[in-house]
Amino acid sequence: MSDPSEALASAKGAADRIVKVKRLNACLTPIKELRKSLVAQASAAHPSGVLYGMPVAVKDNICTLEFTTSCGSRILEGYRSPYDATAVAKLRAAGALIAGKTNCDEFGMGSSTEHSAYGRSLHPFDKTRVPGGSSGGSAVLVAAGAVPAALGSETGGSVRQPASLCGVVGIKPTYGRVSRYGLVAFGSSLDQIGVLGRSVHDAARVLSVISGRDPKDSTCEERDSLRLPTVPESLQGFVIGVPKEYFPQELDPAVRRACDRAIRLLRELGAAVREVSLPHTVYAVATYYIIAPAEASSNLARYDGARYGPRFDGSEDVRALYRTTRGEGFGPEVRRRVLVGTYVLSSGYYDAYYRKAQQMRALIAQDFRNVFDRGVDLLFTPTTPTPAFKAGEKLNDPVAMYLSDIFTVTANLAGLPAISVPIGRIRGLPVGGQLIGQAFLEDEMLEAAYALERAVPAGEEA
Amino acid sequence: MSVTHDEVRRIARLAELDVGEEALPLLAEQMSRILEYVAQINAVPASEGVKPFVPGPDAVRFRPDEVRPAPLAFGPAELAPAFRDGFFLVPKLGQFEQEEG
Repeated sequence: MSDPSEALASAKGAADRIVKVKRLNACLTPIKELRKSLVAQASAAHPSGVLYGMPVAVKDNICTLEFTTSCGSRILEGYRSPYDATAVAKLRAAGALIAGKTNCDEFGMGSSTEHSAYGRSLHPFDKTRVPGGSSGGSAVLVAAGAVPAALGSETGGSVRQPASLCGVVGIKPTYGRVSRYGLVAFGSSLDQIGVLGRSVHDAARVLSVISGRDPKDSTCEERDSLRLPTVPESLQGFVIGVPKEYFPQELDPAVRRACDRAIRLLRELGAAVREVSLPHTVYAVATYYIIAPAEASSNLARYDGARYGPRFDGSEDVRALYRTTRGEGFGPEVRRRVLVGTYVLSSGYYDAYYRKAQQMRALIAQDFRNVFDRGVDLLFTPTTPTPAFKAGEKLNDPVAMYLSDIFTVTANLAGLPAISVPIGRIRGLPVGGQLIGQAFLEDEMLEAAYALERAVPAGEEA
Repeated sequence: MSVTHDEVRRIARLAELDVGEEALPLLAEQMSRILEYVAQINAVPASEGVKPFVPGPDAVRFRPDEVRPAPLAFGPAELAPAFRDGFFLVPKLGQFEQEEG
C-alpha cells in the first residue's frame, strides 16, 4: 500500500470492524476517539513506510502518546503517557496506524483477561469462555478480523497463550530483541513486547519493525532489526526436538492429537524430529511464580498516589495515602502477587524462595542449552494444556490459573524466542503448537513456523 | 506452609497495601496455597555452584554522561494528582517518621 486514499480506507475499515466486535470488550479506547485518531494518523503517515496504512492495536500496558495507558488497572485510570514506547514509535515511523489500546489482565498479571478493571474480554468464538491472557484483548481483535496484528506483552506466556486459545499467531521474541522502553514494567528480567497476528507473516513483519537496538533500554541488545526469512520449500536440515516433559500423562488427549498431527507434518516437511528431555521443566511454574511476583512487588512500588494516576484520598499522612491508594487501586490478583512477592523477598524467606528460584532458573536455562548444544535447532510443544476454558472456572483458584502457563513460562525464564501457531480445533475451539528457538535465531523459528502454518489444517478438528 | 492472618497483615504493611480485615481469611488461604506450591523447588538439591541466570547483555552498556532534554510531551504537573511550584504535594509525613523513629 502506498496510496494515501488506501491508508485512509484502511483506517476507517479498522474503526468499523472494531465497532462491530465491541461486545467482546477487547478495545478500551472510546470509538469516537479511535476513529478520529485513525483518520488523522492515516493522513500523517509516511507512504514509504513498510507498514504504511496497516492498523496495529496496542496492549494497554504499552505507552502511547495518544489514548490512555491504564494497564487494565484502576490505579492508572485515565493516565496519559508523555511519550511513546520505542516499539510504538517504530510502528509509527513505519507508517502503521495505532488502532487503539487493548484490554488486558491488570499489569499483565493473569491468563484469562478476567483480571481487568474494565471487565473481562470475551472469547471470539464462545462468549462463555476466556480468550486467555494477559494480552487477551489483542488476541481477540486479531482473531475477530478487526486488525491484522496487535502488540502484546509477555512475562510468562501472555502473548502465546491467548494466541493459542483464540487461533492466531503469537510471537515472543528473545529477551533483548525488542526495546522495553515504554512497556510498563511487571517482571523486568522476563518482560518482552510480542506480536499477535492473523498469520506468521503479519506477526513477523511487525516484529521486524519493532526489533533492534534502543539506547533508551540497556537490556536491549546492540543488534540490527530482525531480517525476515523467506518461506522455505521444506524443512530439510532442521532438527526439531520434542521435549517429553511437555507431554505429561494428564495432557488433554485432543491437544496431544493435534500436536501429534503437527509433528507428523513437520516430519513430512523434511525435518528430523527427535525426543529430548528438559528435566527441570516440572519446576518452571513454581520458579516463575516466585521470580515474577518478587519483581512485580518492586516494580509496582511506584504506584503510590503521589506521582501519577488517581489518588484515593482522605488520608491523614503520606503512608496512609500510599496504603489507601494501593489498596483501592490494585485489583485482587495484583494485590495477591504484590503480597507473595513481598513475602518471598522478606527477611527469613529470601534464601528459601528467591535465591533458590534464581538457581532453578539457571538450571532451566541450562536444560535448553544442553539440548541446543546437541544439534537440536528448535523445540516443538503444545502452547497450552487445554483449549479456552470457561470464564470464572479458575478465578478463585490462583494456582490452577497459573498452571495455564505451564508450557510457556520456560521460554521467558530462559530468555528464548517462541511462537504459537494454530494447529487445529478441539470441539470448535482453536489450539496452538509452540516452537521454541535459540536466542536471537528468530529467523530459523519463523521459517519452521511458516512451513508448519502452510501444512497444518488449522481449522480442522484434531 | 500456612500463612497466618498476622503474617498477611505484616506483609501488607511492608508492601504499603491496605488489606481489610474481611479479606484476610481468603488472602491467607490463597497465599498459603501459592507458597506451598512454589516451595516444591526445594525438592531439588541445593546447588550453590549454580550462578543466577539473567537474560540480556552480559554487561550494562554505558551512555555518554550528558544532559539531554527530556523527551516528554508534557511534564509531571499534568500527571500528578497534586502538583505545585515544581513539587508533588502529599499529606504530612508524621506517622511515617514516628514509625521509623
